[in-house]
Amino acid sequence: MRTAAPVAGFVALLAAFPFLVTAPWLMTIALFTLMYAVLASAWNLVGGYAGYPSLGHAAFFGLGAYAEAIWFQHHGIGSGLAPFAVLPLVGLAVAAAGLPVAWIAMRTRSDVFAIVTITLLFVAQTLAYNLRGITHGAQGMAMPVPDFAPATFERPFYYAMLALLVFALLLSWAVLRSRLGLALLAVRADEDKARGVGVPVGTAKLGAFALSVGITGMAGGVWAYYLSFIYPQFAVDPLVTIAMVLMVFLGGRGTLWGPVLGAFVIAPAQQYLAYQYGASQLYLLGYAALFVLVMLVLPRGVLPTLADRWRRRRLRADVGPEVAVEQP
Amino acid sequence: MHETIQAIILGLLTGGVYALMASGQTLIFGVLKVVNLAQGALVILAAYLSSSLFVSFGIDPFLTVPIVAPALFLLGAAVQWCLLRPLHRSDASQLSLLVTFAVALGIEGVLTLVYKSDYRTIQPSYANRSWTVAGYRIGEVRLAACLLSLAVLGALALLLGRTRFGRAVRATVQNPTAARLLGVEGDRVAALGYGLGAATAAAAGAVYGMVYSFNPNSHYDLISRLLSIVVLGGLGSLGGTVVAALAMGVVSALVGALISPVWSDFSFFVVLLAVLLVRPQGLFGARLRGAL
Amino acid sequence: MTAPLLEVRGLGKRFGGVAAVDGCSFGVQRGTVTGLIGPNGSGKTTLFNLVTGYLRADAGQILLDGRRIARPDPARLYRRGLCRTFQQPRVFPDLTVLENLLIASGHRWPALAGPRARAGDRAAGEALLAEFGLAALAADPAEELSYGQRKLLEFAALLMSAPALVLLDEPTAGVNPTMVRTMERHIRARHATGTTFLVVEHDMGLVMRLCDPVVVMDGGRVIAQGPPGSVQTDPRVLDAYLGG
Repeated sequence: MRTAAPVAGFVALLAAFPFLVTAPWLMTIALFTLMYAVLASAWNLVGGYAGYPSLGHAAFFGLGAYAEAIWFQHHGIGSGLAPFAVLPLVGLAVAAAGLPVAWIAMRTRSDVFAIVTITLLFVAQTLAYNLRGITHGAQGMAMPVPDFAPATFERPFYYAMLALLVFALLLSWAVLRSRLGLALLAVRADEDKARGVGVPVGTAKLGAFALSVGITGMAGGVWAYYLSFIYPQFAVDPLVTIAMVLMVFLGGRGTLWGPVLGAFVIAPAQQYLAYQYGASQLYLLGYAALFVLVMLVLPRGVLPTLADRWRRRRLRADVGPEVAVEQP
Repeated sequence: MHETIQAIILGLLTGGVYALMASGQTLIFGVLKVVNLAQGALVILAAYLSSSLFVSFGIDPFLTVPIVAPALFLLGAAVQWCLLRPLHRSDASQLSLLVTFAVALGIEGVLTLVYKSDYRTIQPSYANRSWTVAGYRIGEVRLAACLLSLAVLGALALLLGRTRFGRAVRATVQNPTAARLLGVEGDRVAALGYGLGAATAAAAGAVYGMVYSFNPNSHYDLISRLLSIVVLGGLGSLGGTVVAALAMGVVSALVGALISPVWSDFSFFVVLLAVLLVRPQGLFGARLRGAL
Repeated sequence: MTAPLLEVRGLGKRFGGVAAVDGCSFGVQRGTVTGLIGPNGSGKTTLFNLVTGYLRADAGQILLDGRRIARPDPARLYRRGLCRTFQQPRVFPDLTVLENLLIASGHRWPALAGPRARAGDRAAGEALLAEFGLAALAADPAEELSYGQRKLLEFAALLMSAPALVLLDEPTAGVNPTMVRTMERHIRARHATGTTFLVVEHDMGLVMRLCDPVVVMDGGRVIAQGPPGSVQTDPRVLDAYLGG
């Protein structure tokens, strides 16, 4: 395993980070960076591997956040680390909720899929506002503030996000190595042809979507517990979707590390600017500009472009200049 | 019964406005084969421009349309020419979709910077006046809005049916390759088409601002509704879009009147999902495609 | 005569006001290489699309092995042994040549959770690549193949499912004469091991050498069928081709 050592080093560095850096504001930035790395990796399973650009993932993020909060309202299990223990259940619940949506949305092709998913944002917000009996509507929902020591308050959330990131990456890696990954790549390239060679495209797409929104929901659960108070407009925030999409496109769609790279570039920058200048309305312009820039200049993303360049250079070195001349 | 008929009247009037907004969307899809996620933001932008002209210069909101429409036409054409045209790649359709999304964000960002995020409405003196016909209330603004929508739709239909540009558009919609061979310049038609779609948003924006309150954020729920209508109408069919818009206007007004206003917006998505469940190509997709 | 492997009865499909396929009926007997010819626009490709589930017929029936297929679905038909190539070869450009075969092994959905290549699939894929002379390219992305090689790859991939009936849509269109002979050799080899073929082809020389019987379509319906020699001299066929 040529890549095992650097990957282990990367994870070890992330695990050591809270001990190297103690300033709470830096920890907050690191926490949100990990969260976006999780979200981008999750989005990549559908938007990258299968080529179905979901614009509604924030709805599932919000669903996870509400699931976590509602669990606590009804079961009131103290605070401390217990809330992290229900995350797998939150993930399963969100994945299950995603299945019927995906089943309807993915009967069509990517245009209509994008439309259905973007309307999901609005559906989720409307539900969060109006199902007052469950979500308390615009008042928002509170969760118990955990009794972690103030100096290291972020640590448990940080490690929860790190665990989610490792899980998301392992899952993405496993999907790429599996027949599901092969099927998704085939769907992205030519779905009709894939059906014509017996690929169970429906199941493959549903599987990818369920995995993707399940991870997204779990990240939402950790986020809700960290903030300990959630409102509809923040739990289902279109900006979250946009951030996921942008990070994946910047780093490289359909690659394992591209989403992580994109998140590690964009999320700290965005958090830092917010922390320093607090100019949240500038986010939008910044996102929009960066988005257009990536689409126009680097539509395949950083990693695939670099890989391609590297491969060509190696090919040229292998073949030598005299053979290259013979090419018509 | 009285309540139901009142709701249907209201729904038809609202549906006319939706038809106007969605027809721009349909036109753009027809010409570019791109779902324009910025259409809602363009409508909100137009609403703000119209509101500013009304507040600062006292120009009647309906009269701001001829001022705002050319501006949005230029903006739309510029978006196509500068941002969408360069995306000639194998996955251009997916990238274009996301670029229009980025345009929506950019517009939202500019509006937030300039106007902050408070809600506002355009309130001319006649905003709340209404006529009563046979016991049914008809809001003046809504009726005028519906008539304006019909007028713009009619003009659009004439433009597409009777002019050289319209023929070029229709040719591009039906067969882009053949149209190019016949000397239709695809890029120019696309830019004009996007511009025209954006210009219809100008008319829609003025009207929208008088009927609803809005803030820079409003484009998300607006685009969700527009997209539901466009899918229901079968992507790219102008006739289907108008019928779908009227139908959705009536359904949501009925739900609002008979069940609860809270769920009236929701009816859009229930109908959208139901339609996709039964006919993934939309209600009018098969029959009316190419009718544009 | 036993029941045909594939039979279409009164199949019809209209686009707008135009009937692309109009009451088309014929059968493909097991063990034959049946040719399907006709002038451009006579409905051959539409017929392929109807039979393989890419289009839904407006009228008529499709029977596979004597059993009616009510709602043809490409993936399900593939697993039942009916598969097709496309006029423009369609391969997955991002996948390697070998992966293009592995993806076509026709497993049901539970296999999605398994590895990309089961041992048996890999062996079968490598054997096919050797048979088709593509072994050296196994690890290359399919986008690097030439047009003719893509046609070979598309055909080879279908054989991963050990199909009973292969529909070939113009297998030799646009390829060089050497590749035409290569393709013909592979069709014959597979025919010899029991695969049935239905071939749409414009190269009449190849049709006359390879196919028996030949079905002739014009205007969306069958106008003649029989051994190649008799079809060739049939006045209706000459009329159709010469625009009589």
